[in-house]
Amino acid sequence: MRRSILALVSVAALIFGACGSSASPTPSTGGGGASPGAGGSAGAGGSPGVTSGTAVLSGWQSSPAEGNALTQTLLGFQSTYPNIKVDYQPVAGDYPTVMATNFASKSVPDVFYVDAAYASTWIKDGFLAPLDSYISSTGFDTSQFFPGYASIFKGTDGKTYGLPKDGNTIAMAYNTDLVTSVPKTMNDLITLAQSLKGKSGLKAPMCLNPGLDRGLAFLYAQGGSLLSDDGKTEQIDTPASKAAVQWYMDLFKNGLGQTNTQLGDGWCGEALGKGDVAIAFEGGWLKGAMDAFPKIKWQFAEMPTGTSGTKVTINYTAAYGIGVDSKNKDQAWVLMQYLTGPEGMAKWTEGGIAVPSRSDVAVPAGFEIIVKGADYAKPGSGFMPGYPDVQKAFGDEFLKQITDKKYDAGPVVDATKAKIDQVLASQ
Amino acid sequence: MTSTTMGRGRAAPAHRIGARREALAGYALVAVPMFLFLVLNIGSILYAAFISVWQWNVRTGPVKFLGANNYLNALKDPIFQSAVGNTFYYTVVWVPLTMAIALFLAVIVNQKIRGRTFFRGAFYFPSIASSAAITTIWIFIMNPYGLFNQVRGVLGLNPLFSLIGFGPNQDWLGDYHTAMNGVIILNAWTTSGTFMIFYLAALQAIPNEVYEAAAIDGAGAWNMFRRITFPLLRPGHFFVATVGLIGGLQLFDQAVMIGNVDGAPANSLMTLVLYLYNDAFKRLQFGQAAAVGVLLFVIIFTATLIQRRIFEGREVGA
Repeated sequence: MRRSILALVSVAALIFGACGSSASPTPSTGGGGASPGAGGSAGAGGSPGVTSGTAVLSGWQSSPAEGNALTQTLLGFQSTYPNIKVDYQPVAGDYPTVMATNFASKSVPDVFYVDAAYASTWIKDGFLAPLDSYISSTGFDTSQFFPGYASIFKGTDGKTYGLPKDGNTIAMAYNTDLVTSVPKTMNDLITLAQSLKGKSGLKAPMCLNPGLDRGLAFLYAQGGSLLSDDGKTEQIDTPASKAAVQWYMDLFKNGLGQTNTQLGDGWCGEALGKGDVAIAFEGGWLKGAMDAFPKIKWQFAEMPTGTSGTKVTINYTAAYGIGVDSKNKDQAWVLMQYLTGPEGMAKWTEGGIAVPSRSDVAVPAGFEIIVKGADYAKPGSGFMPGYPDVQKAFGDEFLKQITDKKYDAGPVVDATKAKIDQVLASQ
Repeated sequence: MTSTTMGRGRAAPAHRIGARREALAGYALVAVPMFLFLVLNIGSILYAAFISVWQWNVRTGPVKFLGANNYLNALKDPIFQSAVGNTFYYTVVWVPLTMAIALFLAVIVNQKIRGRTFFRGAFYFPSIASSAAITTIWIFIMNPYGLFNQVRGVLGLNPLFSLIGFGPNQDWLGDYHTAMNGVIILNAWTTSGTFMIFYLAALQAIPNEVYEAAAIDGAGAWNMFRRITFPLLRPGHFFVATVGLIGGLQLFDQAVMIGNVDGAPANSLMTLVLYLYNDAFKRLQFGQAAAVGVLLFVIIFTATLIQRRIFEGREVGA
């Protein structure tokens, strides 16, 4: 009897001991975002040439070629700034998940990639250090970044939390054997697609994305939008936007386009490469991917102009950022201003692995159209909080409509409006 | 306890010391895994319950006390509701289906037939293959231009399929009506081997005399299965059903591989665990993710209790 009481007590002690140690964090230990010590040196330090030490650099790595390009860039940095040693630690696996665990343990790299898709969340949650004092104290020229890229990494407080490391815009990629006259307008595109319909070997004229991933470019082109200019109210539930969504959906209805899964392909680049379609809408990443399909001759062209009458497309980008908990912020800034400056970015992009996000960097061969688009592209992600949820609401309903062959834009607009309203209300 | 030791006279104290030492050694040995279990399992469950009532920043911890709001927000979210629906649908269809296949296979390979070892190996094989590899193969097979659609075309089965509304290039895993059934069939195929092993063990525990007696009474094969094998397998059924239920409610990897993390197509592959994952790592709303985790715990716990009650009830009746 006594023994079992003893056992119970010890078990209870273990439970409370375990909870006590793990459940102890209280609001006071967390601190409201300001990190002690390290953050203080922001204004004074970070001057290139004087600072020495180590900077840990992290990011995802899409391909070995990308790793090589970064290594070359870092060698360039090393020869210009021999006092700072760069410790490059690429993250394998799901990057945002790995970084979330790093933020939780407050052990983050000094410089790391920040994708546009989750930049606003990371800024809002206080993971990133503002860069304004570094930019002003070292006189770093940010005016050459394409505004469509740079705007994504500004917080609601107006501060800059990241500098775009490169960028991509969506363009029209077409098979040059099948498309002889390049469509300039959306009407031309429809005429062309009609003429390609039923052509032998083609499963469909175009590979289209059943959602905002690419659909947003068409929505803008046809005069629609998601948000008002001040970003405070939804604009999807307007006649113009609704008509634009319907126009895009009718491409599926009229057999002018299919989704990659309907075509049996992993993505639209594969569909173009395998000759399943003649036209796909992708960014600069398509170029490297098409090396796997040497038989297909293809080319980029600018997005056709729609009823909005102006050239428009969407962009995708990622930035370098410095963590609030980064230990070597001054060294991090020296590295960052090199990587996002004209010299480093030229090295990073010259191999054609990435496309510059600055207008004063030479355009690598084959990416002229992609960079041209950067002049007028609007952000394809990261322009509003909770955008992935909005994308999902739109995409889920859009896919239902084309799967069930109903092709009605109404429910898509309703679902998207409801989600935008919910997201804006929770801000 | 005292009354029994009293009668043993002088031997008692030595015996008691020995027993105590033995018990001490036992507790000492249990202490390490018990400590890890309490900290890593029970501790994190309680911690998750604590997080679930806060708006939680992964870097700084609690931001704002929300009480039950994380729970209410999840319950109100239509995507959460479809995640619950999908998860239950999957479990309710997949568990009995897999049990039936597994029992069928187990009965077959329990016979004294030629090549029995080969069949046992062959039926078990899909279970040892990596789920990532086998799911990828499944995606290829069910592709609109994949093996399945090609084969049914060659066999002339397409008119039959068009009768129930499927075209020749039906996108089985990309159509939100059929995607979940695709996952159910995949997992029934891959898991039935494991369940078969469980059933095989249970089958071999049934004493032969029972069958002999039945044979003398003139029972046929079907009657023997229905009246003897099936009821005597009750412990096997309970074990397989419980393991299946818990596994089914935690469906994740196949759904992610086929439909990506957002449960595509159109939420048809959104499961509870996937919803939790999205809340935590895509939205960084750890408070709500913890709330979903607690709800999942409650759901699995309740379902297991109900199941236990059903099996126990039968035992009393029988």
